[in-house]
Amino acid sequence: MGEVSRLAIPARLEEVRHACDFVVEVAEAANLDERAVYHCQMAVDETITNIIEHGYGYEGGDSQIEIICRTEGEHFLITITDDSPAFNPLEHEAPDPSEPLDTREPGGWGIYFIRKLMDDVTYDRVNNRNQLTLAKRLPAAAPLLAESGAEAEEMFPTQALNGDAAAVFPAGRLDSNTSVMLEKTLNIQLQQGHVWLFVDMSQVEYIASSGLKVLVAAWRRAQGQAGDVILSSLQPRIVEIFEMVGFDMLFQIFPDLDAALAAQSKRT
Amino acid sequence: MVMEINTSEMKRVQLFEVIGRIDSTNAAELGSALDRSVDEGRNNLVLDLGGVEYMSSAGLREMVRILKRVKRGGGDLRIANPSDRVKEVLELAGLDSIFEIYPTQVEAVGSF
Repeated sequence: MGEVSRLAIPARLEEVRHACDFVVEVAEAANLDERAVYHCQMAVDETITNIIEHGYGYEGGDSQIEIICRTEGEHFLITITDDSPAFNPLEHEAPDPSEPLDTREPGGWGIYFIRKLMDDVTYDRVNNRNQLTLAKRLPAAAPLLAESGAEAEEMFPTQALNGDAAAVFPAGRLDSNTSVMLEKTLNIQLQQGHVWLFVDMSQVEYIASSGLKVLVAAWRRAQGQAGDVILSSLQPRIVEIFEMVGFDMLFQIFPDLDAALAAQSKRT
Repeated sequence: MVMEINTSEMKRVQLFEVIGRIDSTNAAELGSALDRSVDEGRNNLVLDLGGVEYMSSAGLREMVRILKRVKRGGGDLRIANPSDRVKEVLELAGLDSIFEIYPTQVEAVGSF
């Protein structure tokens, strides 16, 4: 176990910044890179802000929040302890970014970020105090970038249909990592002359701008070859994103793949 | 100074340049600055985040609240020049598909 650094701050919002400065300093000294340091800072900010807002209801009085940093094995560990009523944030469903904007619980974002930004988060109730430990992998133990590159070589499932049509089944989160996979899958289909692409989105939980760009690029290419990209089975949260950016006007969208295929066979 | 907001009134756009840190102590201040513009009927907003070194979810919350407001008024809130870290946070929150994000202020202003 490495050196231990400790700070206690009064449970007030204007004090959170001191905790952030402290964590930045210690994380830098532990050799975390700029990105990991930022992640630690934000996770600590979100944790302590949640404790003050929800744990103490802005009335922390003389209560102190304690922050302890140390390195242990492959991890930089930050333990945050407070004496507000017992609350395990990990038991609460964190809002997903794919959830429609209007139904997202704004307060839940903090917990969502803490989980996303850190490699591991654990909760304990010790001596009537809440104790949340945030772990960030130290640089040497961080996964190699090559891993995400290997993922990009994979393809989403496809199914050849009659003539010049194919169905494509992307899944999961279409973000900057996985959009490359979708791009490759769609391009290969277009190269094979499948210019009518039926993209079934039923398993897509989230789409980032990179995923939207890939769909538009494929749509342009397909249109250029007298085909089309036709979408089906969009989850409500995806529909919302499409409406926000106006893509619902661009693409033909059907409730399910069968409806999309039926509409097309009627036309031709 | 923790956060500074400079506002410029342009022909079709209200431009906000933010410098410093946006967190739970001052996110509301940023929100009110944007609110004032919407109150005056100016719904086309550009938020230049080039000078923002750090933003917590409190800042995102205000941005989403204002986005909903200006969309209702037929306008938009567009982001210019976020740092890599802020961009990453926007993407983690799933907001990069909801906000139009431009690499420069000129492009963001010109997009209206």
